[in-house]
Amino acid sequence: MADIHLEATINGRKIFRSAKPHQRLLDFIRDDLNLTGNKEGCGAGECGTCSVFVDGVLMKSCLLPVAKAQGAQIDTIESLAKTGELSVLQKAFHKAGASQCGYCIPGMVMAATAALRINPFADREEIKERLGGNICRCTGYQKIFDAVELARDVQNGRLPASALLETDTGEGDVIGKNVRRIDAPSKVSGRLKYAGDMTMPGMLHVQVLRSPHAHARLVSIDTSAALAMEGVEGVITSADVPGEDGFGVFVNDQPIMARGKVRYVGEAVAAVAAEDVLTAKRALAAIKVVYEQLAPVFDPDEAMRVGSPVVHDYAPDNVTKHIPIRVGDVEKGFAQSDLVVEETYSTQAIEHAYLEPEAGLAYVDHDGVVVIVSPDQNITHHRHMLARIIAKPISKVRFIMSPVGGGFGGKEDMIYQGMLALLAMKTQRPVRLVFTREESIISTAKRHPSRTLLRMGLMRDGRIRALEMKMICDGGAYGMSTEGVMRKAAILAAGPYVIPNVKVDTYGIYTNNTPSGAFRSFGALQTAFATESHLDICAERLGLDPFEIRRINAMRDGATTHTKAKLGSVSLMRALDAAEKASGWEAGSPTSRGATRSDLNRGDSRPACALGARFAAPGTQEAAE
Amino acid sequence: MARKRGRGMAACWYGIARTATVDRAAAWAEIDDGGSAKIVTGVTEIGEGILTVLAQIAAHEMGVKPEHVVIGDNDTARAPEASHAGASRQTYMIGNVVALASREARKRLVEVIAEVWDVDVDLIRTGNGEIWAENTNHRITMGEAVSTAKNRGVVPVGSATFGTDTTGLDPVDGSGRPWQAYVFGCQVAEVEVDTVTGEVQVLGIWAAHDVGRAVNPQGVEGQIEGGIVQALGQGLMEDFKLDGGHTSTSGFAKYILPTSLDVPRVNSIIIEDPDPIGPLGVKGIGEPAMVPTIPAVMNAIYDAVGVRILHLPATPEKVLMAIREKSHREAYMAAQAAE
Repeated sequence: MADIHLEATINGRKIFRSAKPHQRLLDFIRDDLNLTGNKEGCGAGECGTCSVFVDGVLMKSCLLPVAKAQGAQIDTIESLAKTGELSVLQKAFHKAGASQCGYCIPGMVMAATAALRINPFADREEIKERLGGNICRCTGYQKIFDAVELARDVQNGRLPASALLETDTGEGDVIGKNVRRIDAPSKVSGRLKYAGDMTMPGMLHVQVLRSPHAHARLVSIDTSAALAMEGVEGVITSADVPGEDGFGVFVNDQPIMARGKVRYVGEAVAAVAAEDVLTAKRALAAIKVVYEQLAPVFDPDEAMRVGSPVVHDYAPDNVTKHIPIRVGDVEKGFAQSDLVVEETYSTQAIEHAYLEPEAGLAYVDHDGVVVIVSPDQNITHHRHMLARIIAKPISKVRFIMSPVGGGFGGKEDMIYQGMLALLAMKTQRPVRLVFTREESIISTAKRHPSRTLLRMGLMRDGRIRALEMKMICDGGAYGMSTEGVMRKAAILAAGPYVIPNVKVDTYGIYTNNTPSGAFRSFGALQTAFATESHLDICAERLGLDPFEIRRINAMRDGATTHTKAKLGSVSLMRALDAAEKASGWEAGSPTSRGATRSDLNRGDSRPACALGARFAAPGTQEAAE
Repeated sequence: MARKRGRGMAACWYGIARTATVDRAAAWAEIDDGGSAKIVTGVTEIGEGILTVLAQIAAHEMGVKPEHVVIGDNDTARAPEASHAGASRQTYMIGNVVALASREARKRLVEVIAEVWDVDVDLIRTGNGEIWAENTNHRITMGEAVSTAKNRGVVPVGSATFGTDTTGLDPVDGSGRPWQAYVFGCQVAEVEVDTVTGEVQVLGIWAAHDVGRAVNPQGVEGQIEGGIVQALGQGLMEDFKLDGGHTSTSGFAKYILPTSLDVPRVNSIIIEDPDPIGPLGVKGIGEPAMVPTIPAVMNAIYDAVGVRILHLPATPEKVLMAIREKSHREAYMAAQAAE
């Protein structure tokens, strides 16, 4: 198809450019005009970070073919602070602490700008409704609502412009003050460059061929046709790894690209560097891989059985890690108990869903140093591993941590930096890889799904005599952070309670599922769900209030933990008291209560929501002012 | 009444910094020309607000203004090791080491100025971009002080390292000292359950968390609010599904995340029980903020409608099924009793 001759007004300036018909408006803005403030988060119109104004209307630019911009007036996030001064709304985001990783923020600011244009008097509930098409994974949205309300009030003259300024500094100790975030201006304006926004002269684009099978032997990989294609500068497989292959957080069980066999759907098999993304994608299709299917295993209980398919030869029982904790004698403890309660809990795999998909840039510098720029949560460890993998001294490997658009543990694994290094070395040109959302979801670690059997023995007065827990977690195809997750899960499993007899076993198991790895709260979420749910079940059986049963068992100053560590000051009682008081908790055993109770509708929770009901009829709010 | 409200609570504990291994971090500091400051450490922002926290700590320790602190350089070839950005360790490990490095830089500057003014070093005070000596007329800007020091051949720099006194776990009974700093917390959740659709709305959370010492309270609230909403996602809607190793949830159309319409009002209560080991008393909040949320919500669902969700997530389908099973069971029991 012929190029499009595009005439449009972008951020107030007329442009006359040619564009490719397959480009989306987002690609044109970011790649051709280098306006990288608006981001790509999902490419499917779900997350909103690419939101721009088209003829004044809020639109998701990832869903618009560039031809739709013909003759239109397009305003990106860069249009809001053109003179360098932030808009009222951007200042309000800064003041309220509404940005964290910042990746969703350009789109969020655009959506909020649209909301206040449509209804300058929108109340908090209407603001929520109007931001419903924009996902933020960091903030919990609360400070974003605060920011929009602040901007609304300043714009309407209800608050002075000075309400947007720093108020809490000046004399005295700067620790403990709400100093405005120093990174916020760059985030609310879209000026901050994440790895996927960065380019270098002569840069090649990387695409990765991924396994369609969960467990298969790699019989052969033929890259010759791909390498012969015009515009393809390099193709790599595991055969191109010059050093000792293998990375991981605790055990180096994962090759840079599949070696000998693939262990999960989405595992990298080969990678291509080409002059543009489209050529790199075409080259992937020209790589011929012959697989021989192997019997897969998807259930961790099944994987632990003798005779089950083995995922890694070094672990014939498929156990990645088992962590035991032992205190006293649980059987004796149960025998002494008045009440023994047993229950099974399970939690599902979840995705980190940071708004910034993985991205990285690599090059070999003038001194022969291999440089990797990526949103990497562990540059220290990764340079150690990469140096071994590419057979270079550590001084010749340099990792630069670019601003991370959300991590939550998901960017602790070195799953793509090795491919970038190898392609930069092979082509001697800068290379960049930007994951799509789908690629990020299928190939990166998840939170460990778990099955937990929990048994608790208590005395009639509520004292816990014994706790026994066995948790089996699906660690997926590679070890990643499984060992650490099992350890933290086990240490914290029994909760902050004095229990004389404890037996905890956590198991991380290899399967052919998507790997599980580090995820904010690292195993403690799974065990706390079980233990804290269980305490309420026991409290009801004993006729105790949920706070009361926890106070009866709470660790106090100087307590000894289940790993026999001695604590100093223990703030648990303070936390219990504070939450009970702040919430206006009505004491009572956990049960289905009647209609008469005093603790609901106190004004410090939100109104329940009925979809769409929060849109005021146009003009009604204004008229009410 | 089809909609029923209920409340539940849960408590938590958490260890700060790396688990069952020695954690460590280093930083360099310099009080720079014009009274600005430079901090170099091998880590950057992942959204938690660490750069602002480090600027506040450096400003506090060196007496410069936080807006005059420059922080770089998250680069293994240009900065000392800070180790990884995770494990709720940033404020604890990097914050404490930046404090120590800043103190050393300040000490270099203060020693020169004390000599110039011929006063005891203990009388020198710094703050808000100025340096002065108690009970004297000596007071100059930090910029002037740096210039004075440099004219005497001294560049006010400092460096520091901070490590934890921790051990691995015994392979048989798990005994060991996995952390040197612990935090505790408690959350109360209020939910509304629609008994016709099974939908659960979380309306309010009251979250009390010990953070040691809050360097930036607004940032702490941000961590609590964000952590709670991530936990709600896992508790109520998110589900990465696999069938034969293939996912059916590879995009945000199928993988459902909390939006602005799903979130409760979060009321944060910050508790400060200072860490006695580190120089600042700070601990951490990133991860513990989300630990009690799910059980608090599940306990609240039980309070509202009397059904216990043991298998996450508590989707409308699952909650509705549990409500139906409960009413069938109760009807059966009532019929039995009437016999």
